[in-house]
Amino acid sequence: MPTTDQHPEPPPAIEINGVGFSYPPVGIRHQPVEALASISMSVLAGARLGILGPNGGGKSTLIRLILGTLTPSVGTVRVFGKKPAQAQADGLIGYLPQRIEAQRDWPISIRQAVGYPIACRLKPWQRMSAESCRAVDEAIALVGLGNLGDRTIGALSGGQLQRAMIARAIAGKPKLLVLDEPTVGVDIAGQQQFAELMNTLHTQLNLTTVIVTHDLRAIATVADRVACLSRTLHFHDDADGLSPQLLADVFAHDMAAAFGRVHVDAHLAEECNDPNHSSSDRCGHNDHNHGCGCDGGDQP
Amino acid sequence: MSLQEAFSPDGGLPAIIAALAICTLGGVLSTLVVLKRLAFIGQGISHAAFGGVGVALMVGLTGGSVASNTGQIAVVLGFSIAAALWIAHLAKKSSGGSDTAIGVVLSVSMAIGFILVQIASARFEQAHAGHDHSTTEMAGHEDAHHAIEEVLFGDILQVSWLGAIIAVAAMLLLLSSAWWMRRKLVLWGYDEPVCEAFGVDADKIRRVFFVLLAVSIVVAMQLAGVVLAAAIFVLPGASALNISGRLRPVVMISTVLAVLAAVGGLILGFSTGWPIGPCIVAVQGVVFGITLAARGVLR
Repeated sequence: MPTTDQHPEPPPAIEINGVGFSYPPVGIRHQPVEALASISMSVLAGARLGILGPNGGGKSTLIRLILGTLTPSVGTVRVFGKKPAQAQADGLIGYLPQRIEAQRDWPISIRQAVGYPIACRLKPWQRMSAESCRAVDEAIALVGLGNLGDRTIGALSGGQLQRAMIARAIAGKPKLLVLDEPTVGVDIAGQQQFAELMNTLHTQLNLTTVIVTHDLRAIATVADRVACLSRTLHFHDDADGLSPQLLADVFAHDMAAAFGRVHVDAHLAEECNDPNHSSSDRCGHNDHNHGCGCDGGDQP
Repeated sequence: MSLQEAFSPDGGLPAIIAALAICTLGGVLSTLVVLKRLAFIGQGISHAAFGGVGVALMVGLTGGSVASNTGQIAVVLGFSIAAALWIAHLAKKSSGGSDTAIGVVLSVSMAIGFILVQIASARFEQAHAGHDHSTTEMAGHEDAHHAIEEVLFGDILQVSWLGAIIAVAAMLLLLSSAWWMRRKLVLWGYDEPVCEAFGVDADKIRRVFFVLLAVSIVVAMQLAGVVLAAAIFVLPGASALNISGRLRPVVMISTVLAVLAAVGGLILGFSTGWPIGPCIVAVQGVVFGITLAARGVLR
């Protein structure tokens, strides 16, 4: 969001410039696999971005670049003006993994599970401060598990465990929250609860959130902007939000992924929604070689 | 050895001290071994040590002197740490990878170790073939037989005061290291895939813990040998998890049970003349059985 005051503008939450990433070849007979190419985007602080893309489209790679656990082959990634690893070390990033793989047979309470990442930042001889302990309890209360803090993680339902893991992601008071496919395997009621939770987090914590998913329903009500990722990214940093046209087109893209007949270019759909583009000359094409390529086909 | 003799400084006191130190170490570490499902990895590491024993014997690192024993321990330690790091590397790739690696390390190390021990003992017999051929041959066979038995099942009564001091020092060093990294160990233990995202290097934690485990097992081999050492790093934790569902109490209960079982095993061994290490492991097994039966009542 542009500011007009005299203070220097704060750095964007995420700034990605000309980033490409290739995985090294797995054997001598294989070539490097290009997962991402020519990615540039800027996410302002406080924004709620949804990144849509097919499986294998580079979503997890993009997340790992933002988290700093991968380094781009070319280009730069900055999180609040810092290198991602530094931003991560400073506790600026919270993360919810795609699959919750927390071992449920561990004899630890929700409070412990949520608190350990914070405790890991301490020196071995330091104890968690009262402030950190309060932050842990607040995070647990915020995700709606306030009365279950002492319960062991094994006693939670799948949805409750996911909430506990979201509490873990926000307990360190990050400024950016990254969620990887948060609604995979979640039913309609669960998705609604998730949306309510995301809206609560947004209003109460003013977090910048990035939700990466292949399922539009996951972000339909919790993202202000949507970018489309399939090796390359199509991203508009405008505030127009989702249009019914884009919703319809991307759902058609889901159909294409399922049946392989329908072709819809979500890139064009989004450009239709962009006031900077004239709808007459850009919309209505179904050009296979144009756009972000979210056509659900096999991508490298 | 009677119980009175057992507590004399010239008798079994070093053995008692070493056994208690080793079991205390096992009590703490076994909690993580069980929760992280590393019991089989412990077996792999301890059996890899047998290959090290064979190599040590082949290069002549055996005998009564401290220097040669130190050399033997160094070779065994090297073998175990190398096996631990290799398994850690494969465990990173997939759980199936580490499973196969352990199977390979365990059996190949035992096979090569046993062959090398046989060659070394045959060479020893040849070198000592004297005038009274039949007596020497018999003594040589018995020596070799006893040496293998000691390696497989341990003989804590052979431990000198120096050995006891080393066991206590190793326990303090290994427990301090585990305490130093306790929080990262727990995060790695209960949710390894997210470690990276929280700035915890899961590969490093895995390697360091596997090395800690390898060193612990080599120290414990004095008590219980290649075959039983890993049990000391499984049974107390498994028993404690039958009793409590909270991490801190589990670690404390595990340590107390390990020490109690050690005391029970020592009393049993000294009063019957049965080997101490197997006695302790057997008592730990009984304790596990009792806690398992009581599980429904206690949890």
